Amino acid sequence: MSHDYLLLTLFLAIALIFPVIPLVMAWAWARLFSPAKPGHDKQAIYECGLESKGPAHIQFRAQYYLYALVFLVFDVETVFLLPFAAMGFVKISPASFLAILVFLFLLLEGLVWAWAKGILEWK
Amino acid sequence: MNTAFQLFKYLTPESFLAETAFFVLIAGLFKSTASRRTMLLSLTLLGGLASIAWIALHPENIVICHGMAVIDPLTRFIKIAIVGLSLIACVYAAASNVREHLAEYLALILFSTIGMMLLVSAEDLLMIFIGLEMTSIPLYLLTGYLKRSAASAEAALKYFLFGSVAAALALAGFGFKVAAVPFHLWAPDVYEGAPTPSAALIASGSKVAGFLILAKFLTLGFATGTGSAVWDGLQPGWLPLLAVIAAASVVVGNLAALSQSNVKRILAYSAIAQSGYMLLGLLATGVNGLTAVLFYVIVYALTTLGAFGVVGIVEQRRGGAQLHHFEGLHRSAPGLALCMGVFMISLAGIPPLAGFFGKFYLFTGALGSVSSQNGNLGLLWILIVAVVFNAVSLYYYLIVLKHIFVVPSTEAATSAPQPRSAAGFCIGLLAVAILVLGLYPPLLLSPLQRAIHGATEAAKVAAQPL
Repeated sequence: MSHDYLLLTLFLAIALIFPVIPLVMAWAWARLFSPAKPGHDKQAIYECGLESKGPAHIQFRAQYYLYALVFLVFDVETVFLLPFAAMGFVKISPASFLAILVFLFLLLEGLVWAWAKGILEWK
Repeated sequence: MNTAFQLFKYLTPESFLAETAFFVLIAGLFKSTASRRTMLLSLTLLGGLASIAWIALHPENIVICHGMAVIDPLTRFIKIAIVGLSLIACVYAAASNVREHLAEYLALILFSTIGMMLLVSAEDLLMIFIGLEMTSIPLYLLTGYLKRSAASAEAALKYFLFGSVAAALALAGFGFKVAAVPFHLWAPDVYEGAPTPSAALIASGSKVAGFLILAKFLTLGFATGTGSAVWDGLQPGWLPLLAVIAAASVVVGNLAALSQSNVKRILAYSAIAQSGYMLLGLLATGVNGLTAVLFYVIVYALTTLGAFGVVGIVEQRRGGAQLHHFEGLHRSAPGLALCMGVFMISLAGIPPLAGFFGKFYLFTGALGSVSSQNGNLGLLWILIVAVVFNAVSLYYYLIVLKHIFVVPSTEAATSAPQPRSAAGFCIGLLAVAILVLGLYPPLLLSPLQRAIHGATEAAKVAAQPL
């Protein structure tokens, strides 16, 4: 019994040490070898690697969230479709095939619904 | 192991509802015509009735994946009740002030109903959690459905915040679902701010599912560790905790309802108090207690659904649900007034209406269940609390009736349009049902007893090693 908990404790210790070591190394490296040289480019806001334009504190249109939702649906779809595609041509039972078709149909209906409701039009 | 096809077959009633919801969503996309609301409603009703018919016609006992979902006579009975209640809420919705996006509204009611049905079937903590969430998330949306009403948005946010926090804790989650003190704070605002059909669904179907799953959770999950709530022999466990919650609900609900001027808020506080009465049945911890709780929760759901129907119609015609909006209702709409009278008196628990027998079974069930050390009735103390505060509740139910029948209308008696026939028909049907169940309770009680008996038998069979 105590043996199991010992393993767990060991695991916990390793889990703590593992991320701490690189942090300490990075900190030590910065202290020892790289002097601070702040500059205009170095302090700039990071924006996908491009030069940033205008202030960062601007208002976004709330309409964005609808796109985000529709995008999320299809993002998740990919996650589920990948194992299906990997399995599909090898061996798949009719019931699983039906299940995945139902799933795809539901997503498709969601898209049709969103489209017909005019959600995809930017107003 | 169940194959995917079998799983599809077992969950057919739920899939019927889901398919109906998707059909309704698509049907709602077609350009609006005069008959579109009727078309959407009939589609919904068709799907719901098909689901009920399937449940009624397939009396098989099934345990899926060691209790992920259990289908036995009791869950079938409650599922039929829940689908029926939801369908009435759908009828209200078609007649209500939810003008835009009606199809989505109906679909959300159906989705929530599916959640309730899964919740009722579940005997597995994970499935219970999923069922609770599937019930609640559509209900949050239904609460906030009136986009341009600040009260609706506020209600939805309160409901959501309370619900999502409560869902993390088991007993609090159920307490939240049945609106028992101290998890009741959301109820008045939600009932007041939500569109009336949503409030009706929250008060009826969601509550029936909540009580069944609470009873299952406590009796199956915590068969040991009950403790004792007897006055002179308190023992730690969930019974004393439940007794305190029940007593607090009865006291707080009834006292707070006294000072309300909005009928929806009165119904909300009354719902809190009624939860307290129903928890008494759970204190009885036996077949009799369970029967009493389920009988009463179904009767209560029918009554409160009817009351919300009347409130919805009055709200639409007179622009509010304050007490003064009900003045002189017996002149402008005698039928509605009469039905409201039946609902209020049944909620107050006066014979010969169904509410009286429900309370009678609850109280006698709790009274006879345990005896104390010196041979007295063990739970007498909490029954005294319940009966005294039931007398208090009579006041606010009668205040509503006073405004309907006695106070003359200050406004000129407007020749208001007749209620939409389907909603009016449902309200009348509910009133008749409550009267009939009051005159002859076995109509509901015997099938319920048979279902509970069947469920215990099925559980015994399932427990036997093969």
